[in-house]
Amino acid sequence: MKHTIIIGGGIAGMQCALTLSRQGVATTIIEKENDLGGKLRNWHVLFPTFTPADEVLSQMRHKLSTATNVTIKTGCEATKITPTAVTLATGEELKCDAVVIATGFTLFDAHIKEEYGYGIYDNVVTSADLEQMFNKGEVKLSTGETPRRVAILHCVGSRDEKVCQRHCSKVCCVTGVKQAIELKRLFPAADVFNFYMDIRMFGPGYEEMYREAQQAYNVHFVRGRISEVSPTIDNRLQIKAEDTLTGRPLKLGVDMLVLLIGMRSNDLNATLEAGSGLKCQPSGFMQPKDSFHGNVESGVEGIFYAGAVTAPKNVGESMNEGTTAAMAVVEWLSKR
Amino acid sequence: MINFGFSINKPRTIDIDRNNLRKSNEIMHEMPELQTCIGCGTCTATCTAGNLTEFNFRKVHTLVRRGEYQGAYEEMNKCMLCGKCRLLCPRGINTRGVVMLIKRKLGDF
Amino acid sequence: MTFFAKFCIPFIVGAVVMFAIVLIKYFSWLRNLPKSDLKLIAKGIFTPRTLAAVWEIVCESLLHRRIFRVNPRLGYMHMSLAFGWFLLIAVGWIETVAYLGFEWVPLQGHVFFKYFVPLNGIEGHKPVFDFVMDLLLLFVLSGVGLAWYKRMRSRALGMKRTTKHILFDRIALSALWCIFPLRLMAESITAAIYGGGSFLTGGIGTLMAKTINADILTLLYEPAWWLYSLALGTFFISMPFSRYMHIFTEIPLIFLRHYRLKPTAKEKSYDNFEVEACSRCGICIDPCQLQLQLGINDVQSVYFLRDRRYNMLQQKIANNCLMCGRCEQVCPVGINLNTLRLNSRSSMRNIPNEGRYNYLRGMDRSQGEGKVGYFAGCMTLLTPNTLSAMQKIFSAAREKVWWADKDGGVCCGRPLKLTGEPDSAQKMIDYNKALFAKHNITTLVTSCPICLRVFREEYDLHGIEVLHHSEYILRLMQQGRLSVNYSTDATFTYHDPCELGRGSNIYDQPRAVIEAIGQLMEPAHNRKNALCCGSSVANTAINDRQQLTIAQGVAEELDATGANTVVTACPLCKKAITRGATKQVKDLSEIVAENLK
Repeated sequence: MKHTIIIGGGIAGMQCALTLSRQGVATTIIEKENDLGGKLRNWHVLFPTFTPADEVLSQMRHKLSTATNVTIKTGCEATKITPTAVTLATGEELKCDAVVIATGFTLFDAHIKEEYGYGIYDNVVTSADLEQMFNKGEVKLSTGETPRRVAILHCVGSRDEKVCQRHCSKVCCVTGVKQAIELKRLFPAADVFNFYMDIRMFGPGYEEMYREAQQAYNVHFVRGRISEVSPTIDNRLQIKAEDTLTGRPLKLGVDMLVLLIGMRSNDLNATLEAGSGLKCQPSGFMQPKDSFHGNVESGVEGIFYAGAVTAPKNVGESMNEGTTAAMAVVEWLSKR
Repeated sequence: MINFGFSINKPRTIDIDRNNLRKSNEIMHEMPELQTCIGCGTCTATCTAGNLTEFNFRKVHTLVRRGEYQGAYEEMNKCMLCGKCRLLCPRGINTRGVVMLIKRKLGDF
Repeated sequence: MTFFAKFCIPFIVGAVVMFAIVLIKYFSWLRNLPKSDLKLIAKGIFTPRTLAAVWEIVCESLLHRRIFRVNPRLGYMHMSLAFGWFLLIAVGWIETVAYLGFEWVPLQGHVFFKYFVPLNGIEGHKPVFDFVMDLLLLFVLSGVGLAWYKRMRSRALGMKRTTKHILFDRIALSALWCIFPLRLMAESITAAIYGGGSFLTGGIGTLMAKTINADILTLLYEPAWWLYSLALGTFFISMPFSRYMHIFTEIPLIFLRHYRLKPTAKEKSYDNFEVEACSRCGICIDPCQLQLQLGINDVQSVYFLRDRRYNMLQQKIANNCLMCGRCEQVCPVGINLNTLRLNSRSSMRNIPNEGRYNYLRGMDRSQGEGKVGYFAGCMTLLTPNTLSAMQKIFSAAREKVWWADKDGGVCCGRPLKLTGEPDSAQKMIDYNKALFAKHNITTLVTSCPICLRVFREEYDLHGIEVLHHSEYILRLMQQGRLSVNYSTDATFTYHDPCELGRGSNIYDQPRAVIEAIGQLMEPAHNRKNALCCGSSVANTAINDRQQLTIAQGVAEELDATGANTVVTACPLCKKAITRGATKQVKDLSEIVAENLK
């Protein structure tokens, strides 16, 4: 029986393993965390349908648990990848016939944008932090009070030369609108302001969700990027931006600031480039063989990509790529 | 000038067909990165001068790019060249260079 | 003896032209000096400073001591040419006197002594002079040889890059390189025919007499002296227009410097002495990070001074400089490269505009009250970690603080000064001075080295002590008002900001603070040789990518120390280095605030 190793047990890797299992290919998932599910484990609900992330994930887990010939190795990292073998950090070498890299992305570290005060002031949180707060059902200020005014800032660590992240992370806009609605559902009396440079609603139902946020939830949208945040005497946050649509500087005191942190490429990618003959894009994400006819293939035969390892993607797209990569693996194995 | 008791307002429209874009083209030629501005307004938000007086760097350079030069030199003169905007510009535009360039092209030196 | 031959004409013409032009230059530069400078000269001229200047001229113009310190091989090359030639002239003069007594001999008589007084024409031959003169000629020739070798392989002499020269320099250079070999030839042929000479000219002469027909030698005799004279004449005529003007400019410059003349924010006549004292040795090129990391090859100080001297300076050259001061640090002539560049920028851009900052009138956004004022600076407002760390430090030391610009203030004025608008900068200076005076502070602390420098150099703050936060924190620690925890596991490396280190000579205070907290690991370039982060406000020419490239280079060097944390003491450096570093980058105040007891 042919054997494929999948590096990364996030949603793309899981979907890939599932498809391969159905196609009669044995797989081993290598996951560095102690649990499968990747970033999705920490998410609350998914746009635009507000489906709980946990629901998507548990369905996937259930399917995987009944799938045949799927081995899951958690808590271990791959250090060297070739089409025929993967070396683990423990030194163990696993033989295989193909490799799928589904290592996903890294969340941008908001500390780097020091001017936004993450880690300096209370109540400056990232979108990932907010999802956890939603999950725990504890969306509140450091004082325990409920926020009366929240600002959500788009493009933190995306489209920003200053942090060497030129690319658009694609999903933050939609997440920002989704989180605004969630906040309004929790605190109908609160004011929510989204500060954006461009609103990119690229998927089905997204634009409708945006409109709903404006119309049904009265979420305010200000076109302007926040330049800096400072504390006020009453321990609130004062944010500065330009309201570019009126051409005037804008100041706003808020109780909470949510930073929509972007997706950046994994540091591991550079190691892959150096060690496996794979190629990185200038953004640091891996370069697929072809954007149209080979977007799950790498430059190295026998190594495939799935999910956000090649570019920022949403959950649906990552799952689709898991399937596509699996089919590409099957085709490759049948030729050998 | 004779006071007729009324004045003719300058048209509100930015008439790119009629504006003389020579200076604007020269500026873009010397500083092509200015074209990458996405108008996020970070420069204006953080602007030391803009927080003390009516000065909008983004608006002025955008108008200059459209061939609207009137008052641009005087406006740019409000800038203190402190450089905060350059530290924040997400497109990495050399904003201080832009101020100096516009002043050089539209001023008298 | 008449001491004249036709071949002397090129030499005589050259010498006359050269001295005339040099004198005209001296005269016009001195005449145009501002009154204050002339007063300084009058005050200093009859003091021991003149003697000190003479001594420095010997050490620098002749012996080239400073180049020796930077690069001994290069030092020897320059010394052999300058000191060797000087001795040839001096000993030559003594030789004339020894043979002829104190009789007036025209200049060419000294220079072409061997021609006019060949050995068979004189009684009482003194071979010791032949020997000394040959030795000196060999000394000079060794320098010429090194210079040739340096042209071909500059790395062998410790220079990665050498200056690209203009036409006049090339003519003068070629002439200079020919002078001594031609002299050797002329004197050797003379020795071949008339005898005399020592191991060098005599030796070659004997060899020539043996191998070359006497008729041919006689035929070559005059042309050889012609060539020597032509080379000298060409060199002299091109000299005042070429880099070799430095030979005669450095001498008055050294005197003027000893009389405390300095270049200022605006151009003045004194600058001519500094500009023309540049020998275009090119030592400033290698340390320049624009060259080193970005491959920009036409903006370095040597080219800036050259362009300024020939009135062909362009804004894009003048503006393209980080003003980090790394070149000034190594300049063997000690030219004030940054000040000259600044006043060039000022000449190109400064337009006094009285109404320009009228909007500042009556503004006061300061907060709090206290004898100690804290001026964060524009950039520090973008590094709020520093701000909150300072707040912690102040409250730990129980210091009452007046916050000058927490909610946005007025720029210190240095960025405007650096971009060549000193008159406008003065408006900010006046505004801030009035603000400080109004709030009766006695100490002014800033965490921005850019602000610090202008506060110290331009503000004239009587009764207010200006401190960088590194100095202030160290003082609090020494006074026992602040104590920090020391940990052996904490390892730091420190990046010297240009404006703090080379600019304000503050190297030890931040280091002392760091060493109180943990272990300090020095990067490859530190203190006076520290690298610039690349984001300097002085440079308005390079783009973001270029700034990033420099920052990444610096970050790499800091990372290479293996320290856990990169520490710096400038908000701009912090922002820049963060872009390239893999380790965390912190301001000095942050590590202090984190480790307070």
